[in-house]
Amino acid sequence: MTAARKSLIEVRGLTKRFGGLIAVDGLDFALGEGEVLGLIGPNGAGKSTTFNVLTGGYPASAGSVRLDGEEMLGLPPHRIAARGIMRTFQHNMPFEGMSVADNVLVGAHATMRSGLIPVLLGAGAARMEERAARKRADELIDFVGLGEFRDAAVTTLSFGQGRLLETARALAGEPRIMLFDEPAAGLTPSECDRLAEIVRGIAARGISILLIEHDMRFLLPLADRVVVLNFGRKIADGAPDEIRADPAVVDAYLGEAGGVGAAAGSRAGRPDA
Amino acid sequence: MGGAPAQWWLRWVAATAALCVLPFVLQPYELDLYRKLLFWVALAVSYNFLFGITGQMALSHFAFAGIGGYTVVILLTQADLGLGPAIVAALLLAAVLAFIVSFAATRLEGFYLALATLAFAQLLIIVLDEGGTLTGGTGGLTNYALPTVLGLRIDGPWYALVMVGVLLGTLAILLRIDRSWFGRACRAVRDNSEAAAAMGVDVARTKIVAFTLTSVMAAAAGMVYAFFDNTVNPPVFGIENAFLLLFMVIVGGSGSHAGAIVGAVLLKMSQDILEPVVGHYHALGFGIVVVAAILFQPKGLIGAWDNFRRRMKARR
Amino acid sequence: MTDLLELLLSASASGCIYGLMALAYLLILRPTGIVNFAVGEWAMIGAFATVILSMKLGLPSVLAIPGAALVLAVLGWLTEWSVVRPLVVRGAGHLAPILVLLGMLVIYHQAMLLYFGGDQEPLDGPFGFRRVELGPLAGTPQSFFIIVATVAVFGAVWLFFERTVWGKSFEAVAINRRAAALMGINLRLVTALAFAGGAAVAGLAGLLDAPRGSVEVNMALPLAIQGFSALVIGGVHRVEGAILGGIILAFAEDLTRRYAPIPSGLALGVTPTLLIVFLLVRPTGLLRAKAAG
Repeated sequence: MTAARKSLIEVRGLTKRFGGLIAVDGLDFALGEGEVLGLIGPNGAGKSTTFNVLTGGYPASAGSVRLDGEEMLGLPPHRIAARGIMRTFQHNMPFEGMSVADNVLVGAHATMRSGLIPVLLGAGAARMEERAARKRADELIDFVGLGEFRDAAVTTLSFGQGRLLETARALAGEPRIMLFDEPAAGLTPSECDRLAEIVRGIAARGISILLIEHDMRFLLPLADRVVVLNFGRKIADGAPDEIRADPAVVDAYLGEAGGVGAAAGSRAGRPDA
Repeated sequence: MGGAPAQWWLRWVAATAALCVLPFVLQPYELDLYRKLLFWVALAVSYNFLFGITGQMALSHFAFAGIGGYTVVILLTQADLGLGPAIVAALLLAAVLAFIVSFAATRLEGFYLALATLAFAQLLIIVLDEGGTLTGGTGGLTNYALPTVLGLRIDGPWYALVMVGVLLGTLAILLRIDRSWFGRACRAVRDNSEAAAAMGVDVARTKIVAFTLTSVMAAAAGMVYAFFDNTVNPPVFGIENAFLLLFMVIVGGSGSHAGAIVGAVLLKMSQDILEPVVGHYHALGFGIVVVAAILFQPKGLIGAWDNFRRRMKARR
Repeated sequence: MTDLLELLLSASASGCIYGLMALAYLLILRPTGIVNFAVGEWAMIGAFATVILSMKLGLPSVLAIPGAALVLAVLGWLTEWSVVRPLVVRGAGHLAPILVLLGMLVIYHQAMLLYFGGDQEPLDGPFGFRRVELGPLAGTPQSFFIIVATVAVFGAVWLFFERTVWGKSFEAVAINRRAAALMGINLRLVTALAFAGGAAVAGLAGLLDAPRGSVEVNMALPLAIQGFSALVIGGVHRVEGAILGGIILAFAEDLTRRYAPIPSGLALGVTPTLLIVFLLVRPTGLLRAKAAG
């Protein structure tokens, strides 16, 4: 498990300034192929900012982010999705005017190749692609356990179920890389367990995963490797056991209530880190 | 629209047949109302796609109908083009203008887009009013007629079939693309454009395509309208009707094709029935109905119908 | 030269009217995020209310004008209570209140048409018709009155926002609704006041403008559009933006109509053109929000 993986995403010297405030300062890390990478850190450490830069929400002030060697910084979010990087939203952003199934199908948008004219003419290839996408969406809905809600309106889902929908929707894009934005936030312990199972299932399919997370009990058992941020800088990078014992990490979290091992579990509506 | 394909085809054929036979059994006065009704339904269906499905609150839809109508008449009478080339040229002009205006749609949200498109519609009216002999000024253009097509004169009930054709064509196209990745992309842009982008939807491109397509459809309807009474004038394409169109979609059920049809039929027929009786004040009723719809049944009449069906099903 | 000065005075008066309309939008928009297109109808109703109070009931202007403003304030409050609040409480999204107010626009418009018909009613300004000369400026007394009244209204609103606790809570709600509610600010009261205040200001705009022409139901929509354009030009974030936008719009209109070599009908296109240009190029308007501090 410690054999060198091919780097899928390479982040070099990533810096993000907001006016005078340096949110992220010269961050270097890499996400390997088939790896589950956790990005953790106390409040204000720069995790969310890093995440937003990676997903095209903000431009970076400096540095580079390469996917397969190609620069990704500056791409708008829909292009990033087209490159095979899909994400979930911490505060659940479903499409409220559509059913669960249609929500998941939107996730598959980047994979649909048929042009508008073939669709209009009802060309066979277009129809086949639509049927295949629906089948895949149904499988994903079952995979996350929302099978009985397939045709339900998304407004009827609980927060935890909405999180499962986020996951299925992102998976519909057939990503190579999944980015989870504080997936455990707002979930009950049993919902967390279910989600952890799903994350393992996704990793088993060979998809690389980057998780930013606050909840240590959720993250550490899942991650192959963990990168720890504090004040916008990387302070540690290694296997979960190493991180747990790292004095610098323990120090950073001692400012937080309880420290690394006892970090609180589900928090609904956490402010952005 | 559930049911086996055969059932579905049957419904379409039956509806088409009914729509086509009706013109031949109506009195001339009723025929005129019928054709105008079809015109409004066609506009409502395409407007519903723009506003109800893609979430673009534009008030330029009638303006594009006006562009279609005026352009084809001007090209026919003043540029001496044949009917075919005039239609094609008018559609192209509408497409180009819609494409330009659609960029506003990519940069403006909600009511700001509504006002920008309203301003565009106002500018169009001003251009029409001041256009001198080209546009006929405030009185508009009259004194023209549909040229013969292949030696045949199309008027009366036969011309109503042209409107039926444009309506069904509009509906067919929109239904088709709605049940595809594009329709879902439009709804995603409407519901949450940030999430839509994260899922790979090119939000700007979606808005541009939806806006341009539906505006060209409005132009096509406007072209047919131009030959109803062989007159086109500015007030028809102005603000009041733009609001009425918006109200039709809301009352019928914003986002639903059937809702647009129902809303258009209901409001237009109410207008036709009430106007001779209470004059202009039927509009007061419309205002009340719209406010009631938004407050009590935001999904419109179609929503109410769906609720009713669901409750019936639950009883069994 | 006197010609130009007269034009400037008249344009300034128009600018004040537009500025008041923009202020009416702003008072509602800032705390609630709702664009209330029905303010044009409120302006028209204000003018009619003044016609009834001063011409039909014979009240002096010093009573009729505040009376009309009060009527509008009540109307604004009632509107908020009856159609806006249920939507906000229900969490109906940001578009629903705007649409319901469009419905109200039609209701107001048609109800007024029903009662008053399409006729034009005259409204006498409080200072009569004779030309007044103030130094080099000359014009109708109403123009001077409009400018003075507008300065007074803007001054009062500015003081309200800057110096009173209530005004500060308006700002707080505008910046962050949820935080304001958590701090104990009564959101419902702020919203109700916003609508009442916006209606009163719109009513004032209508009744101040009416003596320069006449009062008719169809004055509503143009005022609504001009007010919104002034708002966009001046900027949504500051009260001063409203009057700045109004002045710019009025001057652009009047100077174009007077001096541009185009037919007068085309001069009507100034407002929509400016609106489109600003929406596309500088949607936040000319004046930026004040820096925090």
